[in-house]
Amino acid sequence: METVFISRFELLLDALAQEMEVYAPRCGAESSTFVRYDPKAPDGVAFNPARLCTPAKEFLFPLRERAAAFPHPLEPEAARPFAVMGLKDCDLKALRILDCVFLEDDEFRDPFYAARREAMFIVSSDCTEPTDSCCCVLFGGQVFPESGFDLNLSRIRDGYLVQPGSPKGAMFLSRYLDRFAGVPSAALTERQHERQKTTEQIERLNAAYRLDRKVDEIVQAGQDVPLFDEMAAECVECQACTRICPTCHCFYLFDTLDTDIFARMKMWDSCVRRDFARVAGGANPRQILGDRTRHRLLHKFVYFLERHGLYMCVGCGRCIDACAGGLDLRELLTQLNRERVSKGQG
Amino acid sequence: MIANPYQPLNATIIEVIDESPTIKSFVIEPEQPFTFDTGQFIELTLPGRGEAPFTPSSSPALTERMEVTIMKAGHVTGLLHECNPGQAVGIRGPLGHGYPVDAFVGKEVYIIGGGVGLAPIRSLLLTLIDRIGEFHRVVCRFGARTPEDFIYKPALFGPWQKINGLEITCTVDQANGQWSGPVGVVTEIVKPDDVDVNEAVAVVCGPPVMMKYVTLRLVEHGFAPERIYLSMEKNMSCGIGKCGHCMIGRYYACKDGPVFTFAQIRKYPNIWD
Ligand SMILES: Cc1cc2nc3c(=O)[nH]c(=O)nc-3n(C[C@H](O)[C@H](O)[C@H](O)COP(=O)(O)OP(=O)(O)OC[C@H]3O[C@@H](n4cnc5c(N)ncnc54)[C@H](O)[C@@H]3O)c2cc1C
Ligand code: SF4
Ligand code: FES
Repeated sequence: METVFISRFELLLDALAQEMEVYAPRCGAESSTFVRYDPKAPDGVAFNPARLCTPAKEFLFPLRERAAAFPHPLEPEAARPFAVMGLKDCDLKALRILDCVFLEDDEFRDPFYAARREAMFIVSSDCTEPTDSCCCVLFGGQVFPESGFDLNLSRIRDGYLVQPGSPKGAMFLSRYLDRFAGVPSAALTERQHERQKTTEQIERLNAAYRLDRKVDEIVQAGQDVPLFDEMAAECVECQACTRICPTCHCFYLFDTLDTDIFARMKMWDSCVRRDFARVAGGANPRQILGDRTRHRLLHKFVYFLERHGLYMCVGCGRCIDACAGGLDLRELLTQLNRERVSKGQG
Repeated sequence: MIANPYQPLNATIIEVIDESPTIKSFVIEPEQPFTFDTGQFIELTLPGRGEAPFTPSSSPALTERMEVTIMKAGHVTGLLHECNPGQAVGIRGPLGHGYPVDAFVGKEVYIIGGGVGLAPIRSLLLTLIDRIGEFHRVVCRFGARTPEDFIYKPALFGPWQKINGLEITCTVDQANGQWSGPVGVVTEIVKPDDVDVNEAVAVVCGPPVMMKYVTLRLVEHGFAPERIYLSMEKNMSCGIGKCGHCMIGRYYACKDGPVFTFAQIRKYPNIWD
């Protein structure tokens, strides 16, 4: 199956909705998120120009879920197929990162994540208008996906190009041939042109933040500078950055007594939380907030890279938007970079 | 691969042994035989109440039942201390990587422990004792606050003292009437000529402060960081390298440890806290 053309966004949504639950983007003036799509009440669902405020991890790794039970063990079940629409390249790269942790582990696989991942049908799209905090280009990202999707949409003047990216996506398209048309002449050139335009836009947005060394080298070398402690002075420990982050995946298991059965809940946690690493008896390797802000960045840019060959950051900029203390990752890295240069390590 | 790594295996506490005023050993019988390598750990669940990591203190040769020695330290351990035989529990594991016993063959094994740190050490000792002829010597330096605080007193001051190839010295912070051994913290009985520092391997397990000072002492004596094995106690939740709680630099203490060489982790911040 090759790339096809569709005139209206809803045509694809309705086709998807015939087969599975569909979550689609809804963008408001203040925020944007995925909503359950109901063909009878489309309710503001529309093509999103950039990533949404909320990350896609919630579809695979919900805020809280049951992970075990007693006395009768909890058997992981297959999940019902569902589609998520409106993911951008940064979102796809974030899923790739979560896969490294939850799926691609030769010893332990998270069966709940795996079941949902298996059931998830991914419809991504090219970015047309990056947000002010988008900084994917600083971390090797780009404004259009090339892999990691079932279908990818590119907006062109009169509609959308729909490109299959997996056998699942191609098969889906072949079931709805009547809704799609062949690619109009010059449409591929137009897509190329649009992609180029958005790339230039994101490059311009980030021109001031260009780093002259690899991010891991900058963070590693900047470990000892007081910047992390200065950063801590602005941080109010709300943990919004880790919750809104599409790649952060810390959690804890919490057991509760539910009459005569017990439930083990798996819930999001945050390494910014003071007692996150505290052990019984009171010892705490990261009692000081500056050590926690440092650990967060070291994990993202150094430790994860060492383990999986990827940065655990996709430059979506959600943490920049969410931070109650006004901290900006781009500025922090630029500053670390500058300190490095001024320390004569440039 | 395990279908659900968060789901414990059902087990029952069949015996509770008082070891010291704050420490009890629990003999646990899992529903199915359970194997582990010495130094690996389990997550022990008190259903509906919580879960905590412990290193079995029994010999890995026993698979029908296992012993864990638990110090009362907080919420879950406090509740466990109230449990009686017959209590239903759950175990997950074995988790992590234990002591590389085969790499110790032919060498002097220098074991330094304190407090409840003797729990993993007992499992290791039982393994070493089974094969005692394969090691050059096994030299132990154990510490406790007072003589009552030593765990495994019957074995420690009884049969273990008589094993050929095994030498144990114990010290206490505070002596009482009967104590005739050394008095002082365990670092004081870690001496440069206890073993050949160029050949021996060291195993250290105990409270964080003790581990720190013993390790620094060993390095001072000339021990290579590659030959100092540390059993790291970190906050743990999942035990399977996902939740992020136990990280020591790039390592997950649960998956890559809990036993690390000092060389592996020395460069990371705050490893002793
Ligand atoms: C690898 C390893 C091996 C260890 N071996 C031993 C050993 O052999 N013997 C020994 O005595 N100690 C051992 N420890 C230390 C032991 O795990 C801690 O003392 C224990 O975790 C303290 O738990 P606590 O709940 O009593 O303490 P608290 O200070 O109350 O700890 C709270 C912790 O308990 C857990 N918790 C609390 N409530 C819940 C709940 N409702 N659901 C789920 N979790 C909950 C959470 O993880 C929380 O971080 C070991 C530690 C590690 C890492
Ligand atoms: S960060 Fe990049 S890929 Fe993500 S929405 Fe913004 S421009 Fe698109
Ligand atoms: S305890 Fe969860 S990652 Fe180690």
